[in-house]
Amino acid sequence: MVESKLLVKGTPPSPLDRELTVVGKPLNRRDAAEKVTGQAKYSGDIKLPNMLYGKILHCPHPRARILRLDASKAEALPGVQAVLTKENTKGWRTSWYKIPEIAFPEVFTHEGGEVAAVAAEDVTVAQKALELIDVEYQVLTPMQDAEETLKTPPPPLIGDEEYPGREIFDRKPFVIKRGDVEKGFEEADVIVEETYTTQVSHHGSIQTRACVASWDGEDLTVWDAIQGVWYSKLALADSLGLDPKNVRVIVKYLGGGFGSKAWSHRITFYAARLSMLTGRPVKMERTRREEFVNHSRRWDCKIELKMGAKKDGTLTAIHQRAVANMGAAATGENYYCMQIIWHTANLHACPNVYLEQIGVYTNRQITGPTRSPLNMPAIFALESHMDRMAAELGMDPFELRMKNYTTYQTVGTDESEDPSASGKSYDSKIPYSSKILDQCMKLATDGIGWEKRKGLKQSSQGAVKRGMGMASYIVLQGVGLHPYVAEAKVAIHHEGTINLFVGVVDIGGGQQTILPMIAAEELGVGAHDITVIYGDTKDTPYAPSCHASRLTPEMGPAVVQAAAEARQKLFSLAASLLGVAADEIRSKNGEIYARSDPIHSIPFQVVCSKITPGIPILGQGSRAPNPKEPMMATFGAQAVELEVDTETGRVNILKVAAAQDFGKAINPKLCTSQVYGGIEFGVGYGLTEEGLYDSKTGKLLTSNLHQYRMPTSVDFPPVDVYLTEVEDPYFAYSAKGAGENTNAPTPAAIRNAVYSAIGIWFNDLPITPDKILKAIREKKEKGRSHAV
Amino acid sequence: MSAKKDEPETKKHITLTVNGRKVERDIDSRMTLAEFLREELDLTGTKVGCNRGECGSCTVIMDGDPVLSCTVLGVEASGREVLTIEGLASEGRLHPIQEAFVEHDALQCGYCTPGMIMSIKALLDKNPNPTEEDVRKSIDGNFCRCGSYLNVIKATIEASKKINHM
Repeated sequence: MVESKLLVKGTPPSPLDRELTVVGKPLNRRDAAEKVTGQAKYSGDIKLPNMLYGKILHCPHPRARILRLDASKAEALPGVQAVLTKENTKGWRTSWYKIPEIAFPEVFTHEGGEVAAVAAEDVTVAQKALELIDVEYQVLTPMQDAEETLKTPPPPLIGDEEYPGREIFDRKPFVIKRGDVEKGFEEADVIVEETYTTQVSHHGSIQTRACVASWDGEDLTVWDAIQGVWYSKLALADSLGLDPKNVRVIVKYLGGGFGSKAWSHRITFYAARLSMLTGRPVKMERTRREEFVNHSRRWDCKIELKMGAKKDGTLTAIHQRAVANMGAAATGENYYCMQIIWHTANLHACPNVYLEQIGVYTNRQITGPTRSPLNMPAIFALESHMDRMAAELGMDPFELRMKNYTTYQTVGTDESEDPSASGKSYDSKIPYSSKILDQCMKLATDGIGWEKRKGLKQSSQGAVKRGMGMASYIVLQGVGLHPYVAEAKVAIHHEGTINLFVGVVDIGGGQQTILPMIAAEELGVGAHDITVIYGDTKDTPYAPSCHASRLTPEMGPAVVQAAAEARQKLFSLAASLLGVAADEIRSKNGEIYARSDPIHSIPFQVVCSKITPGIPILGQGSRAPNPKEPMMATFGAQAVELEVDTETGRVNILKVAAAQDFGKAINPKLCTSQVYGGIEFGVGYGLTEEGLYDSKTGKLLTSNLHQYRMPTSVDFPPVDVYLTEVEDPYFAYSAKGAGENTNAPTPAAIRNAVYSAIGIWFNDLPITPDKILKAIREKKEKGRSHAV
Repeated sequence: MSAKKDEPETKKHITLTVNGRKVERDIDSRMTLAEFLREELDLTGTKVGCNRGECGSCTVIMDGDPVLSCTVLGVEASGREVLTIEGLASEGRLHPIQEAFVEHDALQCGYCTPGMIMSIKALLDKNPNPTEEDVRKSIDGNFCRCGSYLNVIKATIEASKKINHM
């Protein structure tokens, strides 16, 4: 039996010494019936009596200052109940990841900044009112490209806090060091150097942000579209000067998050303020264009990589310089300060590294969590470069990765939040809590038929060429995140009902299905014997927002602890019935029995009847922080087989084999769906999705679902999913997180497969048909291959 | 100045069948079918993800064909027969397509699901034995960002078998 190291406060409960009866079963998601019948009410479906409708006037320029603002005509329009502008909201702050922002600024640093918010009797009147607001702007030249911006002097502060959070990030390199990188390159037989560039990309949630806020003079109730009800509650209370106990946030259904709804966004603050002002409920719903223009997005990056290796493939040195375009504001709390270089420090063994990341504020959209945020550019560059090195060495890419396999990590995930750690030398070798990336790489390559790889080029007939590629990954996400506050409560009642209280949102990952499965396993009952109270700050304890693949690894241990505590109290009641001591009692499949005599069991319900009516048994659970040692991370590998049509430039993915080390899947059915979701993002990022800007005005050109090209049903490849299992005593039933990890390797695997098919390296994402055709033409003209 | 002055004469009388029931209303002539279903009939199962015919989440069936209800005016639906997601389950029993979606996890966040299911319903009504390729084509206008496409295909094939055996 493995000693319990479960990450909880206090003494961890002992592991169950029996086979699992609920965890690991492919149960259907609990809310599926509501969703397939159209009964599920998302925030935008909520309609309250006497409700007003809100609309927002956006600044059309990426960088501008308001010279004159006159909202009097809008205020006078019949049907308009309130207009908020900078004039009547002075000093009011909203926030973006805890970075305070001026609610209605005078100076705008990205397109779509909010100039005014209107509440009116209906949407048409609200829209009309926006047209009546007279604004004159001084339009300034926008800063667009990060590398170009770095060459210019920092902009003067033309307004109060023009670039929120700038003092933390802007243009300050963050460095990770190990060994002696100069010496490492001297020892190398082969040195490979490339520059990789990645694009702006968007979340593309099908539900645009919508909320209804209702103020009754004392309490504020908000039906929000956010990945964490508790984040929203606390952010609203802080911004509006309310006691958190007077703010209730409800999210029963969420139409896609992917990080876009990880933090409260402006419309919720505005709707709440407008409701407090008018005393009526206010609904706000974003248009699709607003969802693109006035929302966060993924950083566009430039990554320079130089790698040295000995002839046998042993890596000797890596030098990396990464520049991230932060847009006008980035996620706060220093969370992202080393997320493009961290992977390079940890994925492959290399004694000498010098890795530098620079974030630059520009006038592009703000940046923030976007499914597998900076893992995407980081893993694309690193895993592309590994294949480039393998080709240079004449080695199999799989063999090169195995040659440099490591069971140690040197830079912890939490240090990514600490800018003062910059420049520190990381020479220690700390083992992982669990890691079976080697098995994943084997499964993925075997799954794709890697042995046929060499023959594919020869067998390709005509204009369509076949290729195979692979990529591996490590990601920061999936093992919990600072500050590790996650609570759970379990109540068992006289009537036999069991309640699990978790303040989480089910964003589509199936959180409301998975957490009761964990509680059911601990209690020894069926999953459906448990009623889960979730998606509402009323009655639930604090839980983190459902992002960074953190819900299962953070909430899981808390749920185990809460259920185990309740179970032990129930066993005390069962002791007299069974005539044995409570610690000799076990439960399974709704039966409670003495460990020595499983045959003579008592139904769970019968023992519950001994509970005093109205005074339920309670159990509480609380997540403890990750320790400094061992290191914790999630891993995986993907292999891709594809065709490149050399006449049209079109890439057709024939198959993806995806193997992941998530510890264990609580629910393999739902976990597999997460892998599919990741691959959808990976395929889009690799081949089609790109946010494009007008070079002169800096405005976003791709602000709809036609021009921003996300994969459709005809683009989505067949996928073989391999869910491996490995013991990890720190997590609930070994379950590390699974949400957003799997998109990380897909773009590099595609890119490496394209090289295998047509012998051209693509270093600039996405790999669109025009780039492929141009590269093929140039290759023919020059008669040689080069990276593009 | 009044917003009303800028507006055309707005009210039109429409009569149509929605989920088997006759519905009559005086509606704003600018109102889309999606808005009519959501605002007037409170049938909020039909979602509006883009309001410009790109995402497919507002798909309903009108006279047997799948249509994007955000690009159909309410007045255009007059005299027609409309089926929405709410009209699929009968007497509390899920339709075989819905059952298969639940069983094969052909949804995650569920926001695209009503539109997705209506596209599939229209497909199976016309083509009771679709191939995987047929299914892919029938939903190529329905975005799912969660990545449910493979499970939608699996669910559809299973549902078609079940319906054919009924």
